[in-house]
Amino acid sequence: MGPAVTGPALATQGLVAGYERDLPIVRGIDLAVQPGELVVVLGPNGAGKSTFVKAIAGVVPMHEGRVFLGGADITSVPAHEKLGRGLAFVPQTENIFATLTIAENLQLAADILPRPARAERIRAMYAMFPDLASRPGLRAGQLSGGQRQMLAVARALAVGPSVLILDEPSAGLSPRIAGEVFATLRAINKTGVTIILVEQNVKAALSIAHRGIILVEGRIRHEGEAAKLAGDPLLGELFLGGHKTARVAS
Amino acid sequence: MIVQTLVDGLIAGTMIGLGAIGITLTYSILRFANFAHGELISWGAYAALVASTALGTIAAPLSQPIEPFSFGWSLPLALLIAMLATGLLALFVDTLLFGRLRARGGAVIILVMAGFGAALTMRSLLEFLFTTKPAYFTDTLQIAMKLGLGARATPDQILSLAVGAAVVMGVHVLLTRTAMGRAMRAVSENPQLASIAGIDVRRVIRFVWLLGAALACLAGVMAGLIVQIRPHMGHDLLLPLFAAAILGGIGSVPGAMIAGLIVGLAEALSVQFIGAEWRAATAFAILVAVLLLRPQGLFGRPA
Amino acid sequence: MSIELVSYIAFFLTVALTYGIMCLGLNVQWGQTGLFNVGVAGFVAIGAYVSAIMTTPDDPNRFGGFDLPIIAGWIGGALAAAIVSFLVGLLTVRLRADYLAIATFGVAVVVQLCALNIESVTGGPFGMGFIPRPFASLAGNALVFGLLNLGVTALTVLGVYLALERLLRSPWGRVLRAIREDEQAALALGKNAFHFRLQAFAIGGGIMGLAGAVQAHFIGFIAPENYVPMLTFQVWAMLIVGGSGNNLGAILGAVLVWAIWAASAAGISAFVPPEQQARAAALQIVLIGLAICMMLLVRPRGLLGEVRTVSRHITSRDKTSSSS
Repeated sequence: MGPAVTGPALATQGLVAGYERDLPIVRGIDLAVQPGELVVVLGPNGAGKSTFVKAIAGVVPMHEGRVFLGGADITSVPAHEKLGRGLAFVPQTENIFATLTIAENLQLAADILPRPARAERIRAMYAMFPDLASRPGLRAGQLSGGQRQMLAVARALAVGPSVLILDEPSAGLSPRIAGEVFATLRAINKTGVTIILVEQNVKAALSIAHRGIILVEGRIRHEGEAAKLAGDPLLGELFLGGHKTARVAS
Repeated sequence: MIVQTLVDGLIAGTMIGLGAIGITLTYSILRFANFAHGELISWGAYAALVASTALGTIAAPLSQPIEPFSFGWSLPLALLIAMLATGLLALFVDTLLFGRLRARGGAVIILVMAGFGAALTMRSLLEFLFTTKPAYFTDTLQIAMKLGLGARATPDQILSLAVGAAVVMGVHVLLTRTAMGRAMRAVSENPQLASIAGIDVRRVIRFVWLLGAALACLAGVMAGLIVQIRPHMGHDLLLPLFAAAILGGIGSVPGAMIAGLIVGLAEALSVQFIGAEWRAATAFAILVAVLLLRPQGLFGRPA
Repeated sequence: MSIELVSYIAFFLTVALTYGIMCLGLNVQWGQTGLFNVGVAGFVAIGAYVSAIMTTPDDPNRFGGFDLPIIAGWIGGALAAAIVSFLVGLLTVRLRADYLAIATFGVAVVVQLCALNIESVTGGPFGMGFIPRPFASLAGNALVFGLLNLGVTALTVLGVYLALERLLRSPWGRVLRAIREDEQAALALGKNAFHFRLQAFAIGGGIMGLAGAVQAHFIGFIAPENYVPMLTFQVWAMLIVGGSGNNLGAILGAVLVWAIWAASAAGISAFVPPEQQARAAALQIVLIGLAICMMLLVRPRGLLGEVRTVSRHITSRDKTSSSS
């Protein structure tokens, strides 16, 4: 799936971003994600994880640095054109159109595809998410938390992106439903879609990821293979040092 | 007598409904109450007047009335030209004024205020160009047809009702069945998510201006045909338009049309039972009632 | 300087200052609280009519007048406008911002209709005359009469100005500012934020009513056509030119805009042939409208800028380039 690429599927160089120019939250991040890789972005609250992915998606202003998608510079591509180029983003909250039906949410995403391809992609999404297929006419606002996440993922996936970025998809979900979301993401990744995942749910996220990076104060503090990172004492230090509430053990 | 009142109310309500659809669309997608919308109605009417006069001058047969209506082919042709021209005018004002203010990300109320200034400018410019003297599309007199139950209406009025109904259905289908309609509803709910979902929000906004202005132009031409054309015609409709848009629920096209008919009927009834001089207060009474009892309107979502 | 010129200047300034009072009222609503009132003319008219009804001599053709002292009329006019503002605010202040704008627009339309149609109270389209003027016994001496009236109006402006400045520096004013500038604070205050906004809206409306009363008594005659939407536009132009949020600017803006207005109107009547004067007057209004839009685009803080109490509505989009 996605265009054939040489080199990283997605890369950032010296990315500096934040809501206001004089208050950068992300302060220079270099990251290269290989095609087919599933990378999880970890870090304590306020580390800039969310701002980092939002800046890549074009929702938060980028002040410096560059972003490459499949080798092409997409730094100054407007947010709405990124999806068409193969970069899909699922925000943490308000990630579906609650006043539209399930079918309309998917149709809306497919609308950016060439006309002949639309019906097929929507069918593929219903096949992947049978829960959604059972009642396409339902208003999305009436879905449960887990179903909303699934719809949001399906909406992003409907256009067949090469890279899928998700901002805390498990937030607010019960452990069981969160587990289903993670399993789905892993399955999507297996089909060849590169995934970048921001998570608080460290253990679960690392269990499906290839690689993890840890952001602290807007910079990459540490990165490594997911399996090794899971046992890294640094993780405990970062999340538990003074923050008993961190969800490392969940 | 009451049947005649209802017929008159429906005809007035169709014009109010068409204008209110424009208001409700710009309101739900651009997120501000556009006080200059009434001026699009007046400009649309004058644009059609200029175009139809020009067409009639170029090709005299075009102004020959089409039986049983009072106007010739020059008017429908002029209407199409004027709808486009009004749309371009709305885009022009947006580029010059609203778009710049939007880009700065200011408060909604700044846009409302800008619309207020734009309304003043546009209305007085019309007054400067055409003076306050009323103008007419045609000087042909029409004989009202008997509709039964003692009610009468001219062929022009009946045509306006039919065109109004067709246009409302068209807009409803556009919103519910087409990609642009989905995009409009998506932008209205959440512009940021819409752009993440691949929708060019600026393109949707341009489309909404074109559509809203074209509908305003149609309402203006109908009002001009049935009543008369004056620079203040749109301004005088503004309160009924807002009342209808809010009563229908902001963002709801069927709501705006139904509420437009309700406002039109209420006005006709108040003319009948209270007095013509109080017509303009009817819309205000409805507005106050809606804000008191059901601020989200008949078909709106609770804010 | 000739006596005529001095009396004319006194007359001009008196009228300008009555607009200054309207501006101060609008400033409480918009500049200090961020509430958008599109019906200024309506609230001014309420003040003018109520005061006129209270103070004119008894007229068998209509309700009243009650021949009360002028000051009673001023107070009554201000109170009536404040009560109507309060009711409109009660209805709309808690709803979305533009509903208030639409509702006030409706108030102006309805007040205009009432003035035109309830002849037994308002005199209908012909309006009301014989409104007592302050120092009427001295009207024979134009200079003294003009200067005394200017003095009274100036004192009224000063009184309203000082009262507002004091009010805005009081705990009440500080809360108002906090609500306006910090949405979080407003939410935390919840129902109270609504009450503060409502109070500010009513006070502003009351001041507009006072302005209407003062103006009516100075001119001595009122008619519905004095209170058309044009008046609302003029007051807005004055406030925007002077700088919303700034009370001194509001007064200065009123004098400046009124000077430009009066001068251009005089120019039109002097140089434009009579049959074209209506057109020229329309063009004059076009210019006011353009001026409002230009100020919003180019100099949103007004000519004087804002003192201390900067409106959130205007700064939030200037954060990156605040230099004025």
